[in-house]
Amino acid sequence: MIQLSRITKAFGRHEVLKGIDLTVGKGEVVAILGPSGSGKTTLLRCINFLEKPSGGTVAIGDFKADGKHPSKKEIHALRLKSAMVFQHYNLFRHKTALENVMEGLVVVRKIPKEQARAKSISVLEKVGLGSKIDAYPSQLSGGQQQRVGIARALALEPEVILFDEPTSALDPELVGEVLEVIRRIAKEGITMIVVTHEMGFARDVANRVVFMDEGLVIEEGDPKEIFARPKEERTKQFLKRITPEASYSI
Amino acid sequence: MPGAKFDIAYVFDYFPKLLSTLGLTLTIVGWSILLGLGFGFLVALPRLYKVPILQRVSQVYVSFFRGTPILIQLFLIYYGLPELLKLVHADVTRTPVLVFVVLTYSLHAGAYLSEMIRAGVTAVDRGQVEAAYSVGMSGFQAFVRIVLPQAFAISLPVFANLVIATLKDTSLAFSLGVMEMTGKAQTLITLSQHFVETYIALAVIYFVISFALEKVFLLLERRLLKHDRRETDSGKRFGWRRAPSLRGLLAKTARAQEGRSRA
Repeated sequence: MIQLSRITKAFGRHEVLKGIDLTVGKGEVVAILGPSGSGKTTLLRCINFLEKPSGGTVAIGDFKADGKHPSKKEIHALRLKSAMVFQHYNLFRHKTALENVMEGLVVVRKIPKEQARAKSISVLEKVGLGSKIDAYPSQLSGGQQQRVGIARALALEPEVILFDEPTSALDPELVGEVLEVIRRIAKEGITMIVVTHEMGFARDVANRVVFMDEGLVIEEGDPKEIFARPKEERTKQFLKRITPEASYSI
Repeated sequence: MPGAKFDIAYVFDYFPKLLSTLGLTLTIVGWSILLGLGFGFLVALPRLYKVPILQRVSQVYVSFFRGTPILIQLFLIYYGLPELLKLVHADVTRTPVLVFVVLTYSLHAGAYLSEMIRAGVTAVDRGQVEAAYSVGMSGFQAFVRIVLPQAFAISLPVFANLVIATLKDTSLAFSLGVMEMTGKAQTLITLSQHFVETYIALAVIYFVISFALEKVFLLLERRLLKHDRRETDSGKRFGWRRAPSLRGLLAKTARAQEGRSRA
C-alpha cells in the first residue's frame, strides 16, 4: 500500500503541489490525469524522491519517510520498494536490453549473475522482446525501448511501479504495443500509478482515476463514473478538450 | 647553411641512439597523463557538483594552465616552486628535475583533462542517472557504472589528442636539462653538427609513435562506442534527446562548413 499525505512541492516560489493526499491499495491501478503543468509528474517523482517534496510524508508498505528531511537510508528504502518507467525510456545506452534489466538486480539487489540473467530473460520474454535481449537501445524502436524500460522495472518485483507518461514520446503507431504490455501486467495484480494522457487506457485499465489540476486533486473515483459523469467543472472542461470521444461515450 | 654536409647515413645511425631515450620520453608521458587524470578529476568534480569556492579555484587553475605556454609553466614550476616551498622550510634542491617536469606536464594535462571530463559527464543525459537512482543505485554507483563508461567513450577522441599533444610537448623538457629524446638529439647535434639528419630522425620517431597511438585510440573508440554504431550509421545521432557526442559535434561542424563553402 502506498500512502501519500499532505505532499507539497515548491520550485522556488512556484508551488507545484499544494498538499496532496493519495492512498493506493495493493494491486490497484491508479491513473493520474490532468492538464500539463498540473503537477502529475512531480507528484509521481516525489514518491521515489527523484524530486524532494517540500513537505508531507511518503509511505510504501510499512515504510514511511518524511518528505522534507529524508535520510539517505529512507530514500534508498523507498527506491527499493518502487520502480519507475520514464517518458523518455532512460535506458542505459551503453548496455544491452538484457544488461539494462540485469543491472538493478545484480548491482542493487545483489542477486547472483546467473540467476539475475535467467530472471531478466524471462521478464524480457514477457514483454515480447525475447529475441532482442542482446540489442542496444540505439538498435531498438521507441516502443521496444519502452518495453525494455518496463521489463527493467518489472524485474525488480517492486511493491509499486510508477509510470511517467510512458507513451507520450512514442510514435502513434507504437503506442499500442506498449499499452498492451502495461495492460497485461496490470492484470497480474501489480500495483501501478500511471500518469498518462491516454484516456482510453485510463478508462479501461485503471481501477481508479485521479484528476489533478494546479497542484491539487480535483476529483477521484471509478474511471467509468468520472468519464461518464464528472462532478467538477474543471474535470468536465478537461475531458471535453482532451477526449472529444469521451463526451459521446455517455 | 650551418653544420656539416648532409649525409643520410647519420639519419639511420641516429635512430637507435635516439630510441635509447624513448623510454624516458614515454615515462614522462605516462606519468603526466596518469597524474593528470587525477588532477583532472579533482578539478572537474567541484565544477560538476557546483561546490561554491572550489569551483572558482578550479576555474582559475584551468584558465592559468590553458592560458600560458607550457615552456613558461616548466620554468615557473622548476624555479618558482622551490622558492615557495622554502617559505614552509621544505628543501627540494635534491629533488630530481624529472619530478618537476612530470609535475608540470601533469598539471598542464590536468587542466585539459578536467574540461574533457566535465564535457563527457554532462554529455550523458540526466535521465539515465535518474533511472539508475530509480532502481536503487547510490550516487556513486550511478556515476561509476552508468555515467563514467559513457563519458569515457565520448571523451576518447579528446583524450587521444591530449596524449599525443603531451608526447610532443615532452620535447620541451630538455630546456630544463632532461635527457629525453629531444635532449639527446641536441647533444648528438653538438657532437656531430649534423642538424638536419638528427631532426629528420627525431621527427620520424615522434610521428611514428603519434600515428600508432592514433590508430590504437581509434580502435578503442570503435569498441567502446559499439552501442552507438547503428545510430551513427542511420544518421539518427542528431535526433533530439540523444546525448551529444564530440564525434557528433565534429561531424556537424564539418557539415556546416561544407555547406558554407558550397554556398
